[in-house]
Amino acid sequence: MASEKIRKVVEMSGISFGVRVGKQGNRKSWSLSRLGTRFWSWFWFILGALYFLLPLYATANFSLRMERDVIGFKAYIRAFEDPEFLKTFLYSNVLALLTIVASIILIVPTAYWIRLRLPEARRIVEFITLLPFVVPAIILVFGLIRIYSSPIKIPFTDTTLFQPLTTFEVGTDILIVAGYMVLGLPYMYRSVDTGMRTVDVRTLTEAAQSLGASWFTIIVRVILPNIRAALLSGALLTFAIVVGEVTLASFLGVPAFGPYLFLLGQHRAYEPAALSFASFLLTWVAMGLIQLFTGGQGQAAGAH
Amino acid sequence: MAQTALNPKGVSPSADWKKWLGVTPFFLFAILFLILPSLRLFIGSFTTEDGQFSLVNIIQLFEEKAILDAYWLSIRISAATALGGGLFGFLLAYSVTVGGLPKPLRSALITFSGVASNFAGVPLAFAFIATLGRTGFITTLIKNLFGVNLYQQTDFDLYSFAGLSLTYMYFQFPLMVLIMAPALDGLKREWREAAENLGASNFQYWMRVAFPVLLPSILGTMILLFGNAFGAYATAYALTGGRLGIITIQIGAQIRGDVHHNPGLGYAMAMGMVVVMTISLIGYSWLQKRSERWLR
Amino acid sequence: MSYLSISNVTKQFGDAVVVDNFNLDIEKGEFVSFLGPSGCGKTTTLRMVAGFEIPTSGRILLDGADITDKAPNQRNVGMIFQSYALFPNMTVAQNIGFGLRVRKEPEAMIKQRVDEMVGLINLEKHANKYPYQLSGGQQQRVSLARALANRPQVLLLDEPLSALDAKIRVSLRAEIRAIQKSLGITAIFVTHDQEEALSISDRIVVMNVGEMEQVGTPFEIYNFPKTRFVANFVGSLNTADAEVVDPAKGLVSMDGVQLEAAEGTDGRKKGDKVKIAIRPERLSFASEQKKANVVDCIIENITFLGAVVRIQVKIGNTKFNMDTFNNPFLELPKIGAKEQVTCSKEAVLVLDD
Repeated sequence: MASEKIRKVVEMSGISFGVRVGKQGNRKSWSLSRLGTRFWSWFWFILGALYFLLPLYATANFSLRMERDVIGFKAYIRAFEDPEFLKTFLYSNVLALLTIVASIILIVPTAYWIRLRLPEARRIVEFITLLPFVVPAIILVFGLIRIYSSPIKIPFTDTTLFQPLTTFEVGTDILIVAGYMVLGLPYMYRSVDTGMRTVDVRTLTEAAQSLGASWFTIIVRVILPNIRAALLSGALLTFAIVVGEVTLASFLGVPAFGPYLFLLGQHRAYEPAALSFASFLLTWVAMGLIQLFTGGQGQAAGAH
Repeated sequence: MAQTALNPKGVSPSADWKKWLGVTPFFLFAILFLILPSLRLFIGSFTTEDGQFSLVNIIQLFEEKAILDAYWLSIRISAATALGGGLFGFLLAYSVTVGGLPKPLRSALITFSGVASNFAGVPLAFAFIATLGRTGFITTLIKNLFGVNLYQQTDFDLYSFAGLSLTYMYFQFPLMVLIMAPALDGLKREWREAAENLGASNFQYWMRVAFPVLLPSILGTMILLFGNAFGAYATAYALTGGRLGIITIQIGAQIRGDVHHNPGLGYAMAMGMVVVMTISLIGYSWLQKRSERWLR
Repeated sequence: MSYLSISNVTKQFGDAVVVDNFNLDIEKGEFVSFLGPSGCGKTTTLRMVAGFEIPTSGRILLDGADITDKAPNQRNVGMIFQSYALFPNMTVAQNIGFGLRVRKEPEAMIKQRVDEMVGLINLEKHANKYPYQLSGGQQQRVSLARALANRPQVLLLDEPLSALDAKIRVSLRAEIRAIQKSLGITAIFVTHDQEEALSISDRIVVMNVGEMEQVGTPFEIYNFPKTRFVANFVGSLNTADAEVVDPAKGLVSMDGVQLEAAEGTDGRKKGDKVKIAIRPERLSFASEQKKANVVDCIIENITFLGAVVRIQVKIGNTKFNMDTFNNPFLELPKIGAKEQVTCSKEAVLVLDD
């Protein structure tokens, strides 16, 4: 019997689908099956917790053993003292900040305008915001390099508009921030759009208008404060993506934290472990803040 | 812009195209930094170096064994981690929702999943090297406890298929947890009660109602996991240093100009990835639509 | 021996007593409603009959068999939920056939029964649609058919109409009642809507904070409420403080205005504090024939409610609502005018203070 087989497999996996029984549940078989469910629930949970925690423990443990037979923070001190670390980490943070600000400036008015006046553009814009899922970072950077490593000309003429963006520093910075904006686009857009839906910006705007508010007042004093939580969660998610990002940064050759950590790993052992653990804590803080601001909604990015 | 123009029907036809001005910056950005680069790769994969239309790159894609192997390895790793991560993630989500574990464990798991699903790239690779590398914590533990050297007495190697899969799982199953926990919450208590009331056992309820209702989300999320692993580059590169020839690493080598010296082929490889990702995204959104319809 | 017997049933959640010593015998084919505000224990009682909750004490007997501790899937009772609870992954026909299928009935028999049920609820055209393609009213009819397909011994309806539009609510309740009568099935109907309970039931159990307030036919419940809660909860009501003047003659006084009541003063003493209650439709302007209970009043306000015109009058210091049927030739008094109103002595209910 096929169904009998499935039942066995399923029961082995621990999904015994127990029933909630009242406190004084006197149906023995039910309480037993509930007990079984509990057992397997704990089993899987503990297994998951181990899987989560062991690598972290191992990393932390390793990072504290730079000096023979002594537990200490030497690896951390060494890592943080390296001027290169400070430089690249600061640089990555600036990139993250620029990406967040530019994303907000680009996305908030767009999402607002679509909600308010241009619902017919919703489909196409949502489609575009999904494209970064189809075009992984490695492909994106490939395309960006091919397009922007040659001079940009006005079509059908020989007049050069820009030197190749990849050949000068500001150009590369523009390129990488734009690339990060693309990577963060799905999360930022969805976050902002959900925020606008839950506060019903249309009604808010109409209410503000009927009270005689100007457009500037509406956006700055009514809309933005109301989607604050959504903006923050989008921003923190973008931050988590950008700060340790490697693919774009290394192919565009910018001195960011991701490539630095990678190179450090090539010839050092303890400092990279220390920095890895530290960056885990940093991710934790960012996610914890999102949890705090949004109550745990939508927090899955992926710059892997 | 008149303040009374909020009603879309009150807008004159000439203002119709003006409305679109509001989204021009967005479209401009998308074209410059997303559409054009993709288009460049697309066109590049169908042209020869001197700009002639040709299918040569595409044909070469299927003829070069190394490339096909790279795709196949990527697909296998992605499928393995999507299945493994999906199953494990589902069981975890189950245990904290329907499984009757205390509430605080649930929020702990959700927060942790939020962190872990975003914890990838170089730090993740280093964390796994510290855990399962040649001198890693667990490797040493096993050696001390059981006297087994993972690297000499077994086939295990962190820098291989199994090792990379195990590492990918770290960001894969949290994603499953994050998506499945709300889906499991979406199972209405009344469905279970109605099923019981109609004479169904618990097993029948799960087989005939709960699983079929969840199936689109489960499959959809697994597809998402597949794409997630398929496009991953940094983790694999940091872990194996390019030794394990998955497709993203091959493309990376193409960009650097390390091998082949054939840009057309590089474009074609990239397009091949986009095709795989597109198919999975279509599958995902189709399943997602289905499950939203049910779990509304 | 009655068909369904709920005896001395008490349910506690922790320290909270949700249902307190509930006793009820229901005859075969009877339609009984549990009526009360939310939190009164009516749904918990129903869920104990269904087996989703187990009584802390007391027994439930169905057709002579003790089902108190039986698992829900071991009893043959049909349940209808407020939220329909249709399985979203199955068509109408599959939903209806679910109960038979899990009992492993032969396919031919399932098909026949499903066809019969789909016909019963007039959804032949929709048999292969999914729940999300149906309106709320249609979904609830499917859920009715699904419960009936198993030929249950008792049909339990947990606020089945509360999620529906007003018009569908009325037509569906008539349909439920018609189907129940034609099948002769025993039914328990939980609702917080008094009009629904009055219109559909053979008997009504009015409940409040875990206790049964009154059991009776809709006629008894409406016309002869035994407690103040019942009087207040069922229909609208004017109430006022009063004092017994002459228990033997049924005389009570409300701020010096004397009223005569047909009953309710027996066993009370002169000077006892009581409440009097009069339904708005029992008050009318005094014509010359009537001599009892004619009192002076001042017209305070007039509200037009469609079929009914509600006139607020002040008797002594108390405001009363008086309902009269609307007709185009109605001559309404002016606000502030002095009039006389009257009611029969049967209309004056004397209740505990």
